[in-house]
Amino acid sequence: MRALADWQKLQVNKMYKQAHYDEDFLNSFNTGNDFYLEEVEDRYPDSIKRKRLKLPDVRSVDVSRHFTRLSEMNYSVDIGMYPLGSCTMKFNPKYADYVAALPGFQNVHPLESESRIQGTLEVMYRLQQLLIKISGMDYASLQPSAGAHGEFTGILIVRKFFEVNGQLGNRDEIIIPDSAHGTNPASAAMVGFKVVEVPSNDNGLVDIEALKAAVNPRTAAFMITNPNTLGIFDDQILEIAEIIHNNGSLLYYDGANFNAILGITTPGIMGFDIVHFNLHKTFATPHGGGGPGAGPVAVKSYLREYLPVPVVVLENGKYSLYYNLKNTIGKVSSYNGSFGVILRAYAYALKNGNNLSLNARRAVMNSNYMAKKLSKSFEIPYKSLKKHEFVLSTSRTGRKALDISKFILDYGIHSPTTYFPLIVKEAMMIEPTESVTLKDMDYYIDVMEKSLEVPEDTIKSSPVNTSVGRIDEIAAARNLILKWPDSCENS
Amino acid sequence: MAVKMTETDEILQYLNIKNDEELFADIPQKLRVSLDLGLPMDEFSLITSIEKSCSNNVSPAMNFLGNGIYDRFIPPLVDEIIGRNEFLTSYTPYQPEISQGILHSLFEYQSVISDLTQMDVTNSSMYDGFTALAEAVRMAYRINGKEEVLVPENIYRSQLSIIQNYVIGLNLKIIKYKFGKDGLIDMEDLKSKISDHTSSIIVANPNLFGLIDENAFTVSEFKKEALLITYYDPVSLGLIKSPGEYGTDIAVAEGQQLGIHMNYGGPLLGLFSFRKEYVHRSPGRLIGLSKDNSGRKAFVMTLQAREQHIRRSRAMSNICSNQALLAVASLAYLSILGSNGMKKLALITMNKSIKLKKELYNAGINTVFKGINFSDNLFYFDGQEKLIRSNISGGIKLSELSDYPGYKNSAFFSVTEKTSDESISRLAKITGE
Ligand SMILES: Cc1ncc(COP(=O)(O)O)c(C=O)c1O
Repeated sequence: MRALADWQKLQVNKMYKQAHYDEDFLNSFNTGNDFYLEEVEDRYPDSIKRKRLKLPDVRSVDVSRHFTRLSEMNYSVDIGMYPLGSCTMKFNPKYADYVAALPGFQNVHPLESESRIQGTLEVMYRLQQLLIKISGMDYASLQPSAGAHGEFTGILIVRKFFEVNGQLGNRDEIIIPDSAHGTNPASAAMVGFKVVEVPSNDNGLVDIEALKAAVNPRTAAFMITNPNTLGIFDDQILEIAEIIHNNGSLLYYDGANFNAILGITTPGIMGFDIVHFNLHKTFATPHGGGGPGAGPVAVKSYLREYLPVPVVVLENGKYSLYYNLKNTIGKVSSYNGSFGVILRAYAYALKNGNNLSLNARRAVMNSNYMAKKLSKSFEIPYKSLKKHEFVLSTSRTGRKALDISKFILDYGIHSPTTYFPLIVKEAMMIEPTESVTLKDMDYYIDVMEKSLEVPEDTIKSSPVNTSVGRIDEIAAARNLILKWPDSCENS
Repeated sequence: MAVKMTETDEILQYLNIKNDEELFADIPQKLRVSLDLGLPMDEFSLITSIEKSCSNNVSPAMNFLGNGIYDRFIPPLVDEIIGRNEFLTSYTPYQPEISQGILHSLFEYQSVISDLTQMDVTNSSMYDGFTALAEAVRMAYRINGKEEVLVPENIYRSQLSIIQNYVIGLNLKIIKYKFGKDGLIDMEDLKSKISDHTSSIIVANPNLFGLIDENAFTVSEFKKEALLITYYDPVSLGLIKSPGEYGTDIAVAEGQQLGIHMNYGGPLLGLFSFRKEYVHRSPGRLIGLSKDNSGRKAFVMTLQAREQHIRRSRAMSNICSNQALLAVASLAYLSILGSNGMKKLALITMNKSIKLKKELYNAGINTVFKGINFSDNLFYFDGQEKLIRSNISGGIKLSELSDYPGYKNSAFFSVTEKTSDESISRLAKITGE
């Protein structure tokens, strides 16, 4: 018998097979609804009634089986390594889910009076205080619903700040590095700012000269994340802050990468004025296949009066909602924030305490370990010292990041973020987090390396062990189908 | 999380460094902090501590709160489904081949909400009802570029504030239209305000007084080139005319009632549906049906060229994370209840409102309007201290929610299928005293 090539051995050792069901749409089951409710009187005029209602007609057992089968066609952190760069897919601790399901928290109406929800407000207040501490800011609001929503909130604060200071018409630009996440320019534009991009320098950092050239009397703010999206800490940050502040502009911190610095440094000490957090990243709350998240915002004291209302305050041992901020931007969410997410984040923070910074350290160690090992086979541009994540380029390997990302899936692991940041060609952005073991990482690295050895047709035809093979995305956009066909029954 | 020393030693050894401090050499000492974040806790102590916080909450003896968020019964199967870690602990489906479960579910969510509203297209969720409403106003502006939006005079203060924030960068004026003495849209006033400058008209149904507003059904007949944005109650659609039936262009709602716990108002679910010709101008994520390389049904995120990661400052919205898991909850809920269940639920709710109005009337408390209510009922009432004494939640003043100029002494009591007849009788007794 012919000896197996190395990559074949790996495949034999670690065969992964995701379930595949040719699952029908719920509206075609027609097994007969069995949710019982007693008969009720109907004395309402036809003039207010709909003519027809056609929801799925299924038994509960079929609903249960349908979603159980679908869940078997879904990869998750609880199955294996999920190193999506910039997403911080660490383990979501189950104690957080447990406390989030306490009926005393779950069954609280958002208009409930303050005296009955002292426990809820206590959790919110304590998380506010914790976020203030770890960010080196002075005040916080838990209201925004996700990172991008936090950015929107922060930029509304920027706008209001200049409005109150009589400079609104003059300050209409926001500067953003070319390595920034897409939500940054999108959020700035939503608030009516013109977006000016500055290029990064050869080290992947802010090009100070380019920044100086871009900064002008119209500059309202500079938005960055540090470490940046290349996973590199920009040690020019104090100089950057000075340039921005000397111009009378504000410095905005995108906290998506907070897991690299928690307990080590703070945006406050770096000179930032406004910060958003992504609780679903740094604080390990489950991301639910796309959301929910939560994107609290914290500011320095001189911006307190601009925060969304209400904020939670503590006076004489009683928690209450405080609305009386002079220049408040008002509201950005229906109510006071994603409490279910806030509570999980609070549980995570309280449980870990001073170990939070150990988690950050381990995350950075893991990232540097993988970067160094993978640098043998892949080009990892810019400075070698990484923080919690790093970006490699597959350009010189002759293989596309897309192909490698599909090949990886066949081994029961999730691919990195691909084609982001935009400044690296054929980018793969890897963020292992602190939750992975050495064995997890070595296996991942093995698979990455094998992806360069397998024959071209093998990689082009991957993945084969996932529920479905490569999907025609162009056809999906060209021939748009965004809902199920009508079931013929009772239509 | 416990950090295994042996592993970190191996990593340090491989990196050829003595300790992890060397990995932070790029963070200058003057930027370093030393924070006291408290001692780590064992799980038992943690849970005990949070249960203690929880015990500082007091459950009301009876709950008549509503106005957007409602205490409805949630079949345990809903929590079971969204508690499955394959859904719960996954990220946005950036690798669709390994994420078909959530993609298929979200596609079905888009379908079921489109069926419920009788609208062409539904996106895969927005943060919550009010931001969905504000995004609808932005979308209408992108579509027709006109400079006025007409909003109901009784609009909630928080809704208005969010809309103001969302349109702050646009050249868009917010104009209020009036309500008649019957609590329904004042059609003459609305008509007089619709012009060639109108970008969109927001109607709420049930309206913000809690009434089924038949006038809303006719607005599309004279809206000119404006877009009709309908803010609806998803449970009401078990019985009431759907936004699609009366010419709505963009239909938005808060989806919390569809199987999502109140959770002090978050995380919620923004339902967002629209006419198909507007799909390229729509915010948020969309899941599309396609095929894989062997012809099998397969789903992907589609029309991503509208989104922030591609279009950046020119994107249709900045949405990245949305409310996917809650969308799945609402899909499960609607599938479990089915058409018949949803119809009955709507009827039970409306019948409870009638019972409430009757019993409070007998106790000397009058409704402000005579119309047909869904969940929320507005009464002339200012006896809030009686409620506090009896540990009853409800009686939210109209003036607390809205800047509407009239009915200063009125307050809301809301019902759901969970509101028992006994609690209605007790409320009547207590408030009538
Ligand atoms: C750097 C960065 N900024 C902002 C965001 C947006 O966060 P969210 O998805 O919570 O809106 C992300 C999310 O991936 C990110 O990586």
